[in-house]
Amino acid sequence: MHGLEAPVMGGATSRRLPGDVNIWVFVIGDMLIFSAYFAAYLFADRVGNHELFLQSQQYLSQNLGFCNTLILLTSSLFVALGVHAARLGDFAVASRFLELAGACGVVFLFVKAYEWYSKLVGGLTISTNAFFMHYYVMTGVHVVHVLIGLTFLIVLWRELRGAPTPRMELVEAGGIYWHMVDFLWFLIFALLYLMR
Amino acid sequence: MSDVLAAHAGAQSANEAAPTAKNHKLDQWICWWSLPIFYNLFGFIFVYLGKLMPPPRPGLTTAEIVAFIQANASSMQTAWVLLTLSLGFASLSSGLIIVQMKRMTVSPALPYAYMAALAVAALPGCLLCTILFALAAFRPDRDPEIIALLYDMGLLSFVGSLGCFATQYMIFAIAIFLDKRGIFPKWLGYMSIWGAVTELVAAPIWIFKSGPYAWDGLISFYLGTIIFVVWEFFLISSLSKAIKQQPVEELTSPCTV
Repeated sequence: MHGLEAPVMGGATSRRLPGDVNIWVFVIGDMLIFSAYFAAYLFADRVGNHELFLQSQQYLSQNLGFCNTLILLTSSLFVALGVHAARLGDFAVASRFLELAGACGVVFLFVKAYEWYSKLVGGLTISTNAFFMHYYVMTGVHVVHVLIGLTFLIVLWRELRGAPTPRMELVEAGGIYWHMVDFLWFLIFALLYLMR
Repeated sequence: MSDVLAAHAGAQSANEAAPTAKNHKLDQWICWWSLPIFYNLFGFIFVYLGKLMPPPRPGLTTAEIVAFIQANASSMQTAWVLLTLSLGFASLSSGLIIVQMKRMTVSPALPYAYMAALAVAALPGCLLCTILFALAAFRPDRDPEIIALLYDMGLLSFVGSLGCFATQYMIFAIAIFLDKRGIFPKWLGYMSIWGAVTELVAAPIWIFKSGPYAWDGLISFYLGTIIFVVWEFFLISSLSKAIKQQPVEELTSPCTV
């Protein structure tokens, strides 16, 4: 850690850990949990059923998946801009950026709901085969993470609007969480929709 | 009567002669020590005697299920008897968690909800599964189809009820995040979110009889269970810290709610 510290004057821009230790414990643990889902998908089921998995993958809409990737990337950009504005003390602008990020999150959920709906109407359910089991569980667990993330953004929004001196650690922790949700979607998109 | 009162007063003055923070908290420490003792016993009952952990496969044939029950009949019954004798210890630990949660700057609705959620979850997740195995073991020579039914019921109740614990985890996480006194560390709140999310993923056991989402699967059983064990370890160590940090003055003030 010591080797990474930049010798800066003043300290306002010194390299400290963004957020606090607690959120990093959570993020690293959550990544490990998702690694278990990915490992189960790749090694427990996909290896023996490669053909079935490729055929089933054809039923997923890469366009919708790509749309959702763009939506989450955009929301991550808004969160980053919001955290940046909050650091500069511009809390009104920061809360505006969080509103935009949250709106993207809601659009993501609507796209996901439409995607699930179109699969279910087409008769592709969680019990269709092993591929769709992984598809519904992974995207479902990710949706739960998006919902927790939206709650987190509302907490931050209230903090930026209401508190006399908003806690930067909390704002940064929310940002870190949201980037993790974005990153996990990126991995799910690659593994389920794209991987041949 | 007056003798009793006098004796009581005498005992009290003897206590007041040397009041230390430690003996003021003796009651809480008794509850705390019940936690590691109970969970070790609990592990012994479920893993060694009850044969519920690691869970036997869902894909066994009826003949294999009957053989499994017959081979372990007496230990399954011992498991049930030991569980009925020791499950009461869990209430000591719940009492301690509730007392420490009530020190938080949150409404007592949350600790009470926590207690109620655990009480709901204990029924299918702890009692039903063991009694169903003990029941199957009671007459192992009955109709094999009925034995197979009891086997399915026991394991579906045991693993299928993991979702009940998601509520308890979420209540605990919300209480930690809202608490301004820092009774429990924030990371324990985040860990509780892992718990809640991994328990939800036990739901697909109703669909699959093999693979990572079956009742003996990597995701639906092992992931949630590993997180539970890690979480429980850190809960117990955080409780010990919370008791140590509780000011002695707080102990003498009457409970308000």
